[in-house]
Amino acid sequence: MNKIGFNFVLGLLSTTLFFGACKSDKTSDPDPEEQSQSKYVVMTVSDRNQPNGGGYISAFDQYPSGTISNVTGEKTLQGVKGMAGWRPYGNWIFKMVRSSDAAQGIEKIEIAPNGKVTVGKFISSKNQTEAAKYNGTGNFVIQNETSGFYWDAAEPLNIQKFSPAEMRNTGSIDLAQVVNANIKESDVNGIKFKSIGQKFLAIKGGKLFANITYGKLNTTQAGFFDDYFPDVYIAVIDIATGKHEKTIKIENTGGIAYINDNPMYDFDTNGDLYIVTQGTHAQGLGGKSKIVRIKANETDIDKDWTLRFSDFRAADDGKFVGVHAKNGQLILVLNTDPLTGGPTGNINSKDIWKFHVVDVTKKSFKEIEGIPTGINPGAALAVVEVDNKVLLRGAVSSGANAYYEYNYATNTATKSFEVKEGGTLTGFVKIQLK
Amino acid sequence: MHCFQFITRKDMRYSYSFAFLLFSYCLTNLLFAQSNDRIQGRVIQQDGRPIAEATIKIADQTILSRSDGSFNSTKAIKGRQIIRISAIGYVPHMDTLDMDNAKKVFLEIILYPKENTIDQVEVRGKTQIQKLREEPIRSIVIDTKAAAEQPTSLAEIMNRAPGIRIRQSGGVGNQVDVSINGFQGNAVQYFRDGIPLEYLGGGYGINNVPINQLEHVEIYKGVVPINLGGDALGGAVNLVTNQNHKKTFQASYEVGSFNTHLINLSGQQQFRNNWFAGIDAFVNYSDNDYQVDIETVDENANLKPARVKLFHNAYKHYFTEAYAGIKNKKWADELRLSIALYQIDRQSQHPALMTNPYGAIKLNNKGIVPSIRYKKSFWDNRIDLDQFVSYSSTNRHRTDTVKGTFDWYGKFTPGTSVGESPNPSLASIDYKNIISRTALSFHITPQHQIHTNFILNRNTRRGSDPLGFRFTGTDIDVLSKEATYQKSILGLSWESNWFNKRLTNQLFIKHFSFTSKGINAFLSNDTDLNKYKSVSDQSWGFGNAVKYQINNRSFLRASVELTNRLPLQEELFGDNDTRAPNFDLKPERSFNANLGYRYATENFATEVGTFYRRTKGMILLTPIQTPFSQYKNLDSIQGYGFDIDLSYRLFKHFEITGNATWQDLRMVDIGVPLYKWIEGTRLTNTPYFFSNIGLKANFQNVFAKNDAIKPYIHYNFIREFYLVHIPKDKEADGFLGLTGSSKVDTKDLVPDQSLMNVGFNYVFPSSKWSLSAEVKNLMDAKLYDYYKIQRPGRSVHVKINYYIKSFKS
Repeated sequence: MNKIGFNFVLGLLSTTLFFGACKSDKTSDPDPEEQSQSKYVVMTVSDRNQPNGGGYISAFDQYPSGTISNVTGEKTLQGVKGMAGWRPYGNWIFKMVRSSDAAQGIEKIEIAPNGKVTVGKFISSKNQTEAAKYNGTGNFVIQNETSGFYWDAAEPLNIQKFSPAEMRNTGSIDLAQVVNANIKESDVNGIKFKSIGQKFLAIKGGKLFANITYGKLNTTQAGFFDDYFPDVYIAVIDIATGKHEKTIKIENTGGIAYINDNPMYDFDTNGDLYIVTQGTHAQGLGGKSKIVRIKANETDIDKDWTLRFSDFRAADDGKFVGVHAKNGQLILVLNTDPLTGGPTGNINSKDIWKFHVVDVTKKSFKEIEGIPTGINPGAALAVVEVDNKVLLRGAVSSGANAYYEYNYATNTATKSFEVKEGGTLTGFVKIQLK
Repeated sequence: MHCFQFITRKDMRYSYSFAFLLFSYCLTNLLFAQSNDRIQGRVIQQDGRPIAEATIKIADQTILSRSDGSFNSTKAIKGRQIIRISAIGYVPHMDTLDMDNAKKVFLEIILYPKENTIDQVEVRGKTQIQKLREEPIRSIVIDTKAAAEQPTSLAEIMNRAPGIRIRQSGGVGNQVDVSINGFQGNAVQYFRDGIPLEYLGGGYGINNVPINQLEHVEIYKGVVPINLGGDALGGAVNLVTNQNHKKTFQASYEVGSFNTHLINLSGQQQFRNNWFAGIDAFVNYSDNDYQVDIETVDENANLKPARVKLFHNAYKHYFTEAYAGIKNKKWADELRLSIALYQIDRQSQHPALMTNPYGAIKLNNKGIVPSIRYKKSFWDNRIDLDQFVSYSSTNRHRTDTVKGTFDWYGKFTPGTSVGESPNPSLASIDYKNIISRTALSFHITPQHQIHTNFILNRNTRRGSDPLGFRFTGTDIDVLSKEATYQKSILGLSWESNWFNKRLTNQLFIKHFSFTSKGINAFLSNDTDLNKYKSVSDQSWGFGNAVKYQINNRSFLRASVELTNRLPLQEELFGDNDTRAPNFDLKPERSFNANLGYRYATENFATEVGTFYRRTKGMILLTPIQTPFSQYKNLDSIQGYGFDIDLSYRLFKHFEITGNATWQDLRMVDIGVPLYKWIEGTRLTNTPYFFSNIGLKANFQNVFAKNDAIKPYIHYNFIREFYLVHIPKDKEADGFLGLTGSSKVDTKDLVPDQSLMNVGFNYVFPSSKWSLSAEVKNLMDAKLYDYYKIQRPGRSVHVKINYYIKSFKS
């Protein structure tokens, strides 16, 4: 028996050392097959119990059809957090959270010709400790391939400049005076937190539009649903000179936006800019939520046009969570039931979000047929355009998880493709490889 | 009345080959008129103190003495019989007993201790640890005494056990979590001498107690016996201290890398009239300033890798427990009073992930814990009572008030807002905890015993934080509202022996209940601040464990249990900060089954085990609405696993040990169709294969007569595991998933890890002193436990021990 026992132990030793000596081999040779110059990229958030959601990104050579898996194998990128959509610019894809460790900043996603998705360069907050204290670091807008702007919690009263091509910081614009100009002596004690560009950055006609935040809190939620003033202030900066030109206001609405990769504004085909505000409720449950407009050649809020949530439902018990503008038609997702938050709230976990289309001239709300009422569109790209198709995200807790193609003429949506594996859809984009 | 006088003599069959053993005995016997040709008796020391677990063999019977030294034969004994009495640490005795003229016999047997034999006795009888290993409910028993001379932490030696993974977030003193067959977090509960460890308020635990102060550690996998009166879901760890109250003194000092100093001291003394007193104390200190790989920001706001020393990671801890008591009185077998004091000061270097540094956040925890324990046997030792009560008062501080931030090099940049973290704090929270444990055993017959165990655990929490949350629209600190939590667990078991003790069976049932009261502090949502909310629930659990002794070398055992884990107060009421309450939480529920086979010879021992578990409604922290999260009954798990444990004594001087564990735990019953794809994926953040191998040697008379040198080497391997759900067909393939890697380019992965520790221990000829040294992480491998938090690289530790047993009073 002793001999048998000895052999057992030796076997275990060998096994242990064998596996200990094994090296994982995750690298793979370039896959010569199926290389395509255009890629269709799908993002999903995979789990229910990770803050801000880890998830998957996969690239497909063909427009997806039928039911697909978004976990395709070695070519799929799995990220830790922040799989809440992205902000494409041309053929580039950017995320506001680094895939490997959820550090805040701007991450470029690279797609190889063989379809392998990898992370590219990352612009970090100048101070990750400060970035962790406040939401919004990495909120960015791109002017062109060499010029973009973003907010960094490390310098909350500056707007940072960066080169999207080189993915590096190229300086900053100090706007402390602009921020402080709106504060009276009686406001000083009540305002615990100030920033510029934290939640809204847009470029229109050579001007940079940046919201100014005056928050009543200085903790994690600073700047979100804790607005000191009822009006939203937006600084208008001339990009060429870097000079502040004026500050405009969206009146009586509270918070302008909640930061993730859903930018919460959109340009119509004619150049009009539509901006979403989320209302005054301290838990982000709406109230006075509205959409305002800056017309194509203007730099002021169009005082003659406002779309209020109360125009949709007089009880004013919800809010706008995004906007897609095309040919004078706005596609919106609106809550069917009054919003509730907290432990049993419906805002993030119940199927209450229904697509509507609104004609900007008539302000008429029409339900879009053919797509189910879904969950949590605010943390995703609810409406995207790919191959000239307008696609609506239909993710429903009861099972549907698809993009639906919208037909303006019939006001109906039909299922385009469905994702069975990888989690809830949060983004879909087409890029052309150079 | 009839009286026997046994004659003192040596019996070479029971003598051991150690020249220094003192071999003597005396036996006095008394006869009382009782019944049915049976014998009763008591095994005691020379001073009258009882000897528990002594083995009495007569005719075909083997009897164990109880805690008070008493024993009864199980059936009638006739004629002239040889009686053998042995106990670990005592000189055995054999003699002849003539029962022809005696109907009823009472024997009082005195055994004499062996002297200075601790490390070198070749024990033929079963040690307490061996006996525990052979209980129907399987426990991994870690002989801490065997490693006490080494500069090894309790977490490290537990990590070498099959099926057990210890995770420590960082260096000395940092948080430890035990994973047992995949159960972890609150599903595993901790005890000290059978009492829930909560009563010591964090001042005493796996992450800080010196192994020198423990007799052994029991780790229960799956089924937990009722004498540990907790609501553990699938595992329990019982730290067992020295209870024999012998006159001893031991001290040790360990110094190691990263300015680590660990001092421990224990002393016990006996006095006249059976009084005793003692003290256990330790001080742990470490700068924990090991090197880590991090990233710093360059002038382009890009991150570049750097290797830095941690600069704000120190840990300081003292613990002292003084006790006194009396034994062997008519009114008490033992009455023990104790008071424990502790304080922990800890620096916080980084948040949950090592994404950014902190340079000033501090955590403090201090407490005072008086307790009393009373043991008494009644009715001819047929009833044993063990009562424990403690009242602990602890205070926890978290300080985060600095205005500014630090970089990874420790450079401070002033800022305007208070606090480095997202939650600035000057919190001071008081906890009051009462624990009462009542254990009652009924020895109905030698074959049948009934055990009951009742735990009552009551907690209150109240505090303040000038920088913390206020109820909306008020200046009322949410911590100022008292929260209470009370749980009780009643266990009842029937232990029986059949077929001449070849079959041992334990059938048990448990009742769990809790009540909690507090304010719904979630943004003061619909809350009347004077209206407290109460929640309560109760549930039942039951199980059975059986062991069949095949022969002297092998046995089979199996156990099943349906059990519950009650929601904790924080899970119900949140933390009055970013964790929201959930009053609808239900207990987690789990069905566990275990099957094992053990075979042991003099030089070889092996145990193979397998388990199955199905856990429903695991309580997990889930984001609900940024920045808030909430505990919910979310996931269900099903799985099975195997482990094998081997030891082999090689030639005269060597012993080789090893074990391997493979487990396959997967998600089931995903309720939301949108997430149905998760069904069948692995339980995240849980290793599925790990193994250990160790070699130790013992050479005597090396540099001097009676000295000893004991070199050892341990190697540990953990297969890569995932922090996210990976579809089953994209997992690493190969046999049991043991080769290759995930087919997904995942960032949420803890890679394959190998750890090798090498050391030696030198025992000086006097046996009172020993000196040991160990190199931990010899290969300087990158090691992670929690969410890729880096652990220390190679480090060197030296430890000196001083030990006196039975010194003169």
